[in-house]
Amino acid sequence: MKDIEHLVRVAVIFLTAIAFFLVARAMIKPPDYGKLGRYRAGALDDIKALPVKYAGQASCAGCHKAQAKEKAGSSHRGMACESCHGALAAHAAAPKGPKPSKPSEAEMRRFCLRCHEASVSRPAKFPTVDDSKHNPDVACSMCHKPHAPKL
Amino acid sequence: MQALRRRDFLRITAGAAASLLAGALRAPAAWAEKFYREPPWRRKKPYWGFGVDVDKCIGCARCVDACKTENDVPREPFYFRTWVERYVIRKDGEVQIEAPNGGLDGYPRVEDAATVAKSFFVPKLCNLCENSPCVQVCPVGATFKTEDGVVLIDKKYCIGCRYCIQACPYGTRYFHPVLQVADKCSVCYHRLKRGLVTACVEVCPTGARMVGDLSDPESNVTKFRENNRVQALKANMGTEPKLVYKGLDKEVR
Repeated sequence: MKDIEHLVRVAVIFLTAIAFFLVARAMIKPPDYGKLGRYRAGALDDIKALPVKYAGQASCAGCHKAQAKEKAGSSHRGMACESCHGALAAHAAAPKGPKPSKPSEAEMRRFCLRCHEASVSRPAKFPTVDDSKHNPDVACSMCHKPHAPKL
Repeated sequence: MQALRRRDFLRITAGAAASLLAGALRAPAAWAEKFYREPPWRRKKPYWGFGVDVDKCIGCARCVDACKTENDVPREPFYFRTWVERYVIRKDGEVQIEAPNGGLDGYPRVEDAATVAKSFFVPKLCNLCENSPCVQVCPVGATFKTEDGVVLIDKKYCIGCRYCIQACPYGTRYFHPVLQVADKCSVCYHRLKRGLVTACVEVCPTGARMVGDLSDPESNVTKFRENNRVQALKANMGTEPKLVYKGLDKEVR
């Protein structure tokens, strides 16, 4: 017996360590870890539950039928309302609450030119104007209707 | 028992070696067939993919703005889930790549337009890698690929070691200064699951961006991949991105 005493000591140390590891693992590991892969399955639910800020085109067109119709026949037909008017899920949820924004006449020129200023980098067929030559300092909406911009 | 003759011994050994060799040659081939040849979207529905038409991008950066709003990305420069680069390639071969503030404030005027050979905008975002380096390196299992092919981050599990930020070959991850975790494009997973398109696709005025289900043969991205000659970024790295570009130039990395 005396001969194997040192082996017993080592075995006890090992078994204690393994037991400690198993208890710690059971306490730390989330129950849904590994359910779908090497990750916490609940993380997916956390991400899915994040709030939506852009309501989507269908949501806008549901109420604003006249504007949607006007836009549908224009060269801005492919654009979503929220492209210019900003994120409006809060407005869609409570129409009397936050109101859509639109660029003021003063900032309109800068706003429109973010897309329509002439640039060598833009696709050749995309309609652009030279800011310094195309009626400088006049608000775009003097001539162009934003929902149906073609004259 | 009769002693084994040398002739028989050699015959048996050669036979065994040949069959072992044949098996060894066949096994990886079958494995490769299963895991690499067959696109995963044949097996799983839905399976999300992304397409970008460089020829349509006008560099307005509405996508960058919408992404920051939708996903609470810090407004300061250098924190982006998506951004738009402008490439200016001169006739003498000089290449300028710029994305000041991700494109949000516009781009400086191109000087000497006559010397420009070509110029275009390239939107960048998570490449939706099939073999994601960022997932491979995460030491705590905080970043993972979902069953529908999207790479996401478990923000409760992330320890902020930044290893994934270094691993991403496309530079699409950043360190969130407030949450102190890594953050990246989630292809607006919360929107996809509600039947909406991503915020960037929603606001893109020219339809240069698209998101869709690769497992659906009639979906927009499937058609985009079939009807155009498309290309992924850094294909040589074997990451197999599910983000593909149409009209890419060799200078784009």
